[in-house]
Amino acid sequence: MLGDLGTAGLTAGLTSASLTVLLWLRVALLGAPARAARVATVVTLLAAALACGALEAALLRRDFSVRFVAENGGRHVSVYDTVTSLWSALDGSLLLWLLVLCGYAALLARRRHPRRLHAYAMAVVGVVTTFFFALSTLAANPFRAVHPVPVDGPGPNPLLQQHPAMGVHPPLLYLGYLGLVVPFALALAAPLAGVEGRDWLRIARPWTLAAWSALTAGIALGAWWSYAVLGWGGYWAWDPVENASLLPWLTATAFLHTMLSGAVRHARWNTVLACASFVLVLLGTFLTRSGAVASVHAFTESPLGPLLLGLVLLAVLASTLLAARGDPAPPSPRTPPLLSRATAVLVNGVLLVTIAAAVLIGTIFPLLTEPLTGARTNVGPGYYQRTAVPLAVAVLLLAGVAPAVRRAGDRAVARRLVLPAVAALATVAAVGLISRPGLPALVAFGAAAFTLTGLAGQLGSMQRRRRGVRTVRLAAVLAHAGLALVAVGVAGSSAYGQAQERTVRTGETVRVSDVSVRLVAVDRSAGNGRMVVQARLALTGDGSDRTVAPRLWYDTARDTAVTVPRIDTGVLRDTYVTLLAVAADGSTATVRLAVNPLVGVLWLGAALIVGGGLLAFAASARRVRRRPPPSVPVDPPTALRVAA
Amino acid sequence: MSWRRLLGVLAVAALLAGAGTGLLRSSAPDPDTDPVRTIAAGLRCPACQGESVADSQSPIAAAMRQAVADQLARGRSPAEIRRWFVERYGDEVLADPPARGLPLLLWAVPALALLGAGAAAVRTLRPPRRRASAAAAVGSAPAGVAARRVWWLSCAAVVALVAAVAVVAGRLEDAQPQAPPADPVAVTLQLARELEQQQRYDAAAELYRDALRELPDDGVQLRLAFALLRAGDAAGAERTAREVLTRSPDSPDGLLVLGLAQRSTRPEEAPQTLRRFLTVAPRHPAAEEISRLVDG
Amino acid sequence: MTTRRLPAARATVLLLVVAVAAVLAAGLHGGPASTTGAAGDPIPAPALHGTTLDGGRFDLAEARGQVVVVNVFASWCGPCRDELPLLDDIARRWSPYGLRVVGLNLRDGPEAVRALLSETGTTGLTVLPDPDGTQAVRWGVRGVPETFVVDRDGRIVARRPGVVTQEWLDQRVTPLLRAA
Repeated sequence: MLGDLGTAGLTAGLTSASLTVLLWLRVALLGAPARAARVATVVTLLAAALACGALEAALLRRDFSVRFVAENGGRHVSVYDTVTSLWSALDGSLLLWLLVLCGYAALLARRRHPRRLHAYAMAVVGVVTTFFFALSTLAANPFRAVHPVPVDGPGPNPLLQQHPAMGVHPPLLYLGYLGLVVPFALALAAPLAGVEGRDWLRIARPWTLAAWSALTAGIALGAWWSYAVLGWGGYWAWDPVENASLLPWLTATAFLHTMLSGAVRHARWNTVLACASFVLVLLGTFLTRSGAVASVHAFTESPLGPLLLGLVLLAVLASTLLAARGDPAPPSPRTPPLLSRATAVLVNGVLLVTIAAAVLIGTIFPLLTEPLTGARTNVGPGYYQRTAVPLAVAVLLLAGVAPAVRRAGDRAVARRLVLPAVAALATVAAVGLISRPGLPALVAFGAAAFTLTGLAGQLGSMQRRRRGVRTVRLAAVLAHAGLALVAVGVAGSSAYGQAQERTVRTGETVRVSDVSVRLVAVDRSAGNGRMVVQARLALTGDGSDRTVAPRLWYDTARDTAVTVPRIDTGVLRDTYVTLLAVAADGSTATVRLAVNPLVGVLWLGAALIVGGGLLAFAASARRVRRRPPPSVPVDPPTALRVAA
Repeated sequence: MSWRRLLGVLAVAALLAGAGTGLLRSSAPDPDTDPVRTIAAGLRCPACQGESVADSQSPIAAAMRQAVADQLARGRSPAEIRRWFVERYGDEVLADPPARGLPLLLWAVPALALLGAGAAAVRTLRPPRRRASAAAAVGSAPAGVAARRVWWLSCAAVVALVAAVAVVAGRLEDAQPQAPPADPVAVTLQLARELEQQQRYDAAAELYRDALRELPDDGVQLRLAFALLRAGDAAGAERTAREVLTRSPDSPDGLLVLGLAQRSTRPEEAPQTLRRFLTVAPRHPAAEEISRLVDG
Repeated sequence: MTTRRLPAARATVLLLVVAVAAVLAAGLHGGPASTTGAAGDPIPAPALHGTTLDGGRFDLAEARGQVVVVNVFASWCGPCRDELPLLDDIARRWSPYGLRVVGLNLRDGPEAVRALLSETGTTGLTVLPDPDGTQAVRWGVRGVPETFVVDRDGRIVARRPGVVTQEWLDQRVTPLLRAA
């Protein structure tokens, strides 16, 4: 019953999404009124919502006749985990994906933008929507009936049941990924829309900022989840799924900089980066949804691979063909001096594109080697540490230089950089003489000091500015300071982190620097389809004594063990205790005790970046709303005449 | 030169010297670090994704750390140890695989990206020459009949897109029939076994009956018989075991359950059934126990 | 519309993308399963010796002339538990023809293994404890379970990471037994 409703929703969505494309094309090509197209867009959203709602209801009512529920539901699963299990497996997550995509389409449809630019962009979004509806309906329908109806299901992947962040992480990532469809659609529409197209960057900016902020938050939450649940002690493993989220983030970051109003000359860059960001989203979807790369949290193998690869190719083809039609915005006649914001933005773009290239080739390398050599060769973190990390430090340094060169042709640049340089040298000298963090970490500390000092100087000079400008500047300062803090957190935790792993009897201790844990007891309990072993440990350190209880879960239905660490979060360092194994008779436990300094700074930095992004979004959305688009002739023939 | 100026120069020089020393100190290998950890950090854990042997908690990684420690204790050099691992696990055990052949791509692609993007950036910064005409070329919207034709073409393209997905999806479905990852009967059986471990034999028997309705199988039926026996329903166990024995009269487990059930229902027949069990399956794990029971 | 023409640079990029996509598609076609292939040419088996679980001695070097199946397993590994009955079965069926099945017990406790063996009713395996896992590393084991087939001349002729199947064992082991 719910299954039929869901399938009906998907079919209706497929039909109305196809109609949406055609109706918006009618608006663009034939000058038809946009009303019908808007209605069709909203209907598509409703269809996606219906499908999502039907699956959610089936999950909550434990209707095991629906395939997805039989595979991912379970009677023992809590309500929160049941709700979030919608996106714990491939087919259900596609529905959420569709819902978010249709939401963006409906929001974009409501806006009053130059008519042809808007209509072409909507048509592009419609094609993407149609494709994913077709995928969900025809290739991965979660509503197919199961026969015979099972009495119970295995429940969602136990790894995903462990952390409340799992409820927010995928939706946020999807908000980020799919928001990038708007700049992509506008970039493709701009050359088609003629003179109207010149306005696309201004329209794209708030969308890009919103998507970018969500993507940043999603990546940060994913790292936090990895740190707090996976229990291996780190937050970033250069895992294919993590890389897939990083890739569009890198190009979108570059795009956010090249699109800045003063840099209209970078028209080609803008088109290429906007297209690349969404193509990388699709490529990441292909990599993680097709089972092409193995990963801790990749979805299992599915038949969607070839279809998604086809979509990636289609997107590349469309962007290449359309970008070839020429820049919609005329290049400005003046040549900027070498030391200018335009240069800084371009260097930033070059660096980020290079990082993206390194991460991309590292991620798809196993796929490339397999047909050529017969064996999969995975690329380890060492490769990224030698390619992406130094480039990222260069980006950070650039973020410190850029505020100093904000005025073109300014002689005072060198003088403004003296104080940051002194701060950087002092930091490097102090840290390098006191401890041995290793070369990359030391340079990162220096670069962070350089950038933070430069930003502080900018913060001081901001009082003199107009309010609107001030908000935008403040947003940039926040985001760049966040980047510096992230660098400090990453460098600090990887350079000064200490860990000790030992098998101990009751009463014995594990010690790391001044922190120690003593095994008090091992408790076991079973039930609800899982076995839970918990070690009670007395933690001594930081002048206080507490009891921590890391756990080891064993999920019988899926035959998976999950280690749940206990993290004692401090201002400057975390104490991280994991239970790795327990002897059969409970007499000994293998415990890992780690002290991870400065991880808190990393999360603070990520929060600042997101805050900066949101602030910039608010400012640019207000600007788009306050300043109506320049009046543009309505019917295409007139537009043609104007263009000619 | 004023005193202040001199002081400034001295301060900068001191800073530079300090920073230089710090950097030098950091680039030299730390004498305090554990050599096992240094070597293990350069090896990739074969059972994990992207983790080094030093960081991974997988048992294989722990074993590899132990192997490194053993060999260091025997006085082997780090290079020898690495070679020893490469012999066993191949080049990909190294965190930094040697850059020859295909791995060269890993360095060539970022280098090319850097060059390409750099060239594009330089081009963007150069004064525009003869490129101003590009803007005039855009905005070529088809009009009238042409526009209508384009629209019809788009209709066909959208239909083709959906049709393509349908065709590919259909072919894929044929190519790899999706076995339901969680076989419902298997889940039921799993749950039943768990209940048995918790000594809730009644509930387990109930689930085994459920499973039997979906999948008539002697093995499941025997588990049901065992569960009934443990739940204290010897008559039910006997009946169930007999059903199996009518189909396969020499089933050892069938004879075993029947014999054990008969010990409470009709004790006079039990030894005979159990002896038959012993002749059919003398090496059954329960045989020793049963022979003690029968002879004792 | 002269700008409609595709510039050479862009065409090259497009061609490159298509080429990479083709390789990706080929990789997808192969699927991740192909990492579980068999070893290439037979290589001499590394040493394997020690005290067995029941107190005896085992040395692979002294088992020349026998076909030895080495199964790396542990009580903490679910799939291992599932394949034990199969291995036990072939050990009992084929031992008259010169087969020996050795269970290399990776990083485990003796009680846990004994419990596992009695639960699964496994009696036909020679169980060799490897508490610190170094023997397994010497064999290049990547994970549990993993199974090796050593021929009568002491060479590894097949290896399989992951769970073994009856077909795989039939294919790899029976020809060796017949050769005697």
